[in-house]
Amino acid sequence: MFSKKKALRLLLGLFIIFTLNFIIPRAMPGDPVSHLLGENFIASEASIQELERELGLDKPLLAQYLQYWKNIFTLRLGYSYHFNQKVMVLISIRMKWTLALLVPSILIGAVLGTLLGALSGLKKNNLGNKTVTWAFLAVYSTPPFFLGIIFLYLFSFKWGIFPFKGFYETGTFPDVLLHFFLPVLIMSAFTASRNYMIMRGSVLIEKEKLYVVYARAKGLYGRAILFRHIFKNASLPVITLIALDFGFLLSGALFVEIVFSMNGMGTLIYEALLSRDYPVLQGCFLIITIMVVAANFIADILYSFIDPRVREKA
Amino acid sequence: MNDKRLLNRYGLVIAVLFVLTALSADMIAPHDPWERFEPYQKPNRSHLLGTNDIGNDILSELIHGSRASLIVGIGAAIIATFFGLLVGLLSGYFKGIVDEIFMGMTDIFLMIPRIPLIIILAAFLRSSVWLIMLVLGLLWWTSTARVVRSRTLQVREMDFVASAKCLGFKNGHIVFSDILPNIFPVVVPKFMLTVATAMISEASLSFLGLGDPTMKSWGLMINFALTKGGLVNEMWWWYLPPGFCIIFFVYSIVSLGFSFEERKKVILV
Repeated sequence: MFSKKKALRLLLGLFIIFTLNFIIPRAMPGDPVSHLLGENFIASEASIQELERELGLDKPLLAQYLQYWKNIFTLRLGYSYHFNQKVMVLISIRMKWTLALLVPSILIGAVLGTLLGALSGLKKNNLGNKTVTWAFLAVYSTPPFFLGIIFLYLFSFKWGIFPFKGFYETGTFPDVLLHFFLPVLIMSAFTASRNYMIMRGSVLIEKEKLYVVYARAKGLYGRAILFRHIFKNASLPVITLIALDFGFLLSGALFVEIVFSMNGMGTLIYEALLSRDYPVLQGCFLIITIMVVAANFIADILYSFIDPRVREKA
Repeated sequence: MNDKRLLNRYGLVIAVLFVLTALSADMIAPHDPWERFEPYQKPNRSHLLGTNDIGNDILSELIHGSRASLIVGIGAAIIATFFGLLVGLLSGYFKGIVDEIFMGMTDIFLMIPRIPLIIILAAFLRSSVWLIMLVLGLLWWTSTARVVRSRTLQVREMDFVASAKCLGFKNGHIVFSDILPNIFPVVVPKFMLTVATAMISEASLSFLGLGDPTMKSWGLMINFALTKGGLVNEMWWWYLPPGFCIIFFVYSIVSLGFSFEERKKVILV
């Protein structure tokens, strides 16, 4: 199912990125204590020395490095003095809201993008398809946060249809849905636009191939050929794209969250950034890395599921 | 769309206009973007897009902002394309162990969440246009490398490469004069999409306040407009124009890329 080589690369990648995360705060100009505790943390000289001992900054680098890995395996990502909370706790609270925005958007975007893209690839000169292509290109070219600002201004500020600000843990389900509608709409459109363009290009190429001519000779008509034969082959690049794009889409979701003041990782990163709360920033970086690697892993499995050639080779 | 056209005509015109604007910003801009007038002016005859919170002329800022935005977008794409070409060509042409190493490296780079990494770096260091450009470029070569590699794998099996080998040409010569020209159909659109992604990323980072305060880009202008109350005061002439500049330029360059891709029948994943 899943090749050993690929798994090895994923692990090696994780190892290198995590090591990078260890190096960055120690290599940057300035005081490593403030880098590891956050900049708006003020303490007396004595307690700073004590914290330095606690963080292991007085030990040799190798010992610090080993300690760093031990902390990761025991899920200790440090303490945020700004939020007065363990970083791991902070992130695990916020992460589910980010995923709640991202996962439905990616699914809706994938379905919408591939379906419309396939239809548009089949008949690209049809006026309707041309309009759809134009619209998706426009969404493709718009930074998600800017689309967010425009929607927020129109729907919330001007017309008051949707709530202005984020949601809270206490909200009922319909309430949460109401708050989620615009952000999910924006992220779905953005995801769909990227999938649409690739699917369209992919179908344009696939439909010239011989198996399509054969299907036509058998007497199948356009859409049946598309969905029975072309679709599966043409969707392979889209799966690759979704995996490659996951990090980019995730960052887009973070920015959309900030625009809509939602309670997810995006706002957490934003707040941490404003107060230069480095432990939170680094914790978020690690968790996001794990999410991206997981997405790649899932895409690979999905790929081999759809394409028997890959499955047999592995 | 007329299939004879290699490049989308409208896209080309818009893109060229933007580049010309950036090049001749000093001559076109009605005022110095740092000069201060009466703040919060509405659009009027001497300030077509009004002035911002500290009295800078917004139109002049917009025209000068094209420089920072285009430098980041195009600069990052040039760096990314250079490394993508290098890695892709070498690993596609030599295959074997070279391919294993380079593709392993590419897979690892693919996993780095780029924007969060830039956020961290920019938080530690002082952010500048050059930092953002460099980091974006050094992180975004992976997908170009993949596309170039798979294309090189096809081209290297073609007859003219075999005959060049038989004639005794060296590897370097074959790669540059036989294979490279045949890679361009995939590199050109990929380059354009990279420009688009880099510009969207730059705008997003500036929106977070990580932009370069000494070199105003469109993203930074949006950030200022939002944090200084442009949105709630309904001063649309402040935050909409930079946003639409980003959209128009990215749109032009993306449509160029996709029309080229369609014409040449390549897939860019």
